[in-house]
Amino acid sequence: MGKYERYWDVVGVLNMSSLSVIDLYKNYSRKNQSVLEAVRGISFDVKPGECFGLLGPNGAGKSTTMKCVTGFYHPSKGSIKVLGLDITLNLRDARMKLGVCHQDDTLDTDFAMLDQLLQFASFFRIDKKEALLRAERLLKRFDLFDRKKDLVESLSGGLRRRLQVARSLINNPELLVLDEPTTGLDPESRRSLWEILCEERKKGMAILLSTHYMDEAQRLCDRVAIIYKGKIVACDNPQKLISDVTHDKLIREEIRPGITIERPSNLEDVYLLLTGVSLAADLSEGV
Amino acid sequence: MSRLMISLGSIYLVWKRYAYVYRKNMAFAAITTFVEPFLYLASFGFGLGSVIGTIDVGEIQVSYRAFVLAGIVGQTILFQSFFEAAYGSFVRMYYQKIFQAIAVTPVTIEEVLWGEIIWDSSRSSTSAVAVMLIGVAIGDFSITGVLCAIPICFIFGMIFASLGLLVSAKSQSIDSISYPQYLFIIPMFLFSGVFFPLTNLPSLIHKIIFILPLTSVLSVLRTLVLGFTFEWWAPIIIGGWGIILIPLARKAMIKRLVA
Repeated sequence: MGKYERYWDVVGVLNMSSLSVIDLYKNYSRKNQSVLEAVRGISFDVKPGECFGLLGPNGAGKSTTMKCVTGFYHPSKGSIKVLGLDITLNLRDARMKLGVCHQDDTLDTDFAMLDQLLQFASFFRIDKKEALLRAERLLKRFDLFDRKKDLVESLSGGLRRRLQVARSLINNPELLVLDEPTTGLDPESRRSLWEILCEERKKGMAILLSTHYMDEAQRLCDRVAIIYKGKIVACDNPQKLISDVTHDKLIREEIRPGITIERPSNLEDVYLLLTGVSLAADLSEGV
Repeated sequence: MSRLMISLGSIYLVWKRYAYVYRKNMAFAAITTFVEPFLYLASFGFGLGSVIGTIDVGEIQVSYRAFVLAGIVGQTILFQSFFEAAYGSFVRMYYQKIFQAIAVTPVTIEEVLWGEIIWDSSRSSTSAVAVMLIGVAIGDFSITGVLCAIPICFIFGMIFASLGLLVSAKSQSIDSISYPQYLFIIPMFLFSGVFFPLTNLPSLIHKIIFILPLTSVLSVLRTLVLGFTFEWWAPIIIGGWGIILIPLARKAMIKRLVA
């Protein structure tokens, strides 16, 4: 690759996307039932170093979209390119550059923490010496090093989550797919994870993030797409979305019996408005 | 995904994962791998065998111990491959979600499933080899026959592992695996000729048993290790089961995992 150290240097020069999803459809055939259209014509792209958020209620199609992006599901229609590689045609090459943290706990409970990372490094054909260096570095970054020999099944939910995110970074991915990564984390671990993600982005790693925490999306994401019933209903910078959808109105809401406050509208208000769920308090008109 | 070439290197990496866990839990693994066949061997081979003495199978006279020992080799391959693939893969797929975790790395889901089948077969063949070596040590089996049987045991193991994987893919819960276990696997174990020659069975039952995979497996094994007459239909039937089960199991599991 010459003077270009990583793929994103090249894609940056060529103005290519780290991830490009075009007109994605995913249908599920259900026994004795009609076909379920989980994703219906979604398109978006993620630039190198960008964090792109997918927001939406349960069953909206976020996880299905992410599973298509990782090549685990085969799209019914449309195309997905990871760092310029078609995921269906160049699955193995694309996945070499992809890190994935599932929504579910997918840690291998038969392994100790360090061995877990080494095991996954082997799937990326990283040689043993380099794998050990990377694994120990990650365990230190995620504050897990002191317990590196502990079996996964002995860990608390929060530690397991941290380990799972650490595992997704073992191959130094250029695109990281995070499906609700901070679920179950305490506030300190959550902030620490945000800092790590910020550092990785500075190096050019793109992130596709799905979350139910609107504050997380507002803080981390350069752009968010709100998915509802398999379609993107809005996609933009969080601040611009708030401004466009709520017109920066103040929200009045009763937070406790007898106590009503007014606060600036936020991404959660946008989300609730666009997904058709009624707000806890009305948008205060004319304020 | 079908356009991808299967990588033997990736399958080996999956196999290595299983081997690592097996080594780590060696004491437990050794008990589950070796104790059961040895118990059958002690009870039926040495216990019942000493009472019965010799039996006639067609025109061949053989000690009951040698006859049942060859049966236990087949039973070991059946049980260890099937149960590891059925229950083990269900746990790995449904509870641990290991298949899903590995299948987003450069290792594909096809390779994960090949790794599973080959591991299950490796484990069952190891047990089968241990039983066969006892047969050689006590003078019941020919060493040449055992050497020829080792790779064949591995193939039989893959077929029964595929059956287990198919059952796992089709089961809604871990309890549902009991249905094929009690309605197919156990009856097959009891009536396919592990403990007695099939020649004296009523004709209708004989015809049904004839098409079961374990019957053919036992026929091939006894030909190799005891020098029984080669029955041409046996490799055809077991080969047919393999041709159907191996792709069917992988297809069913991929459908289950990848919707």
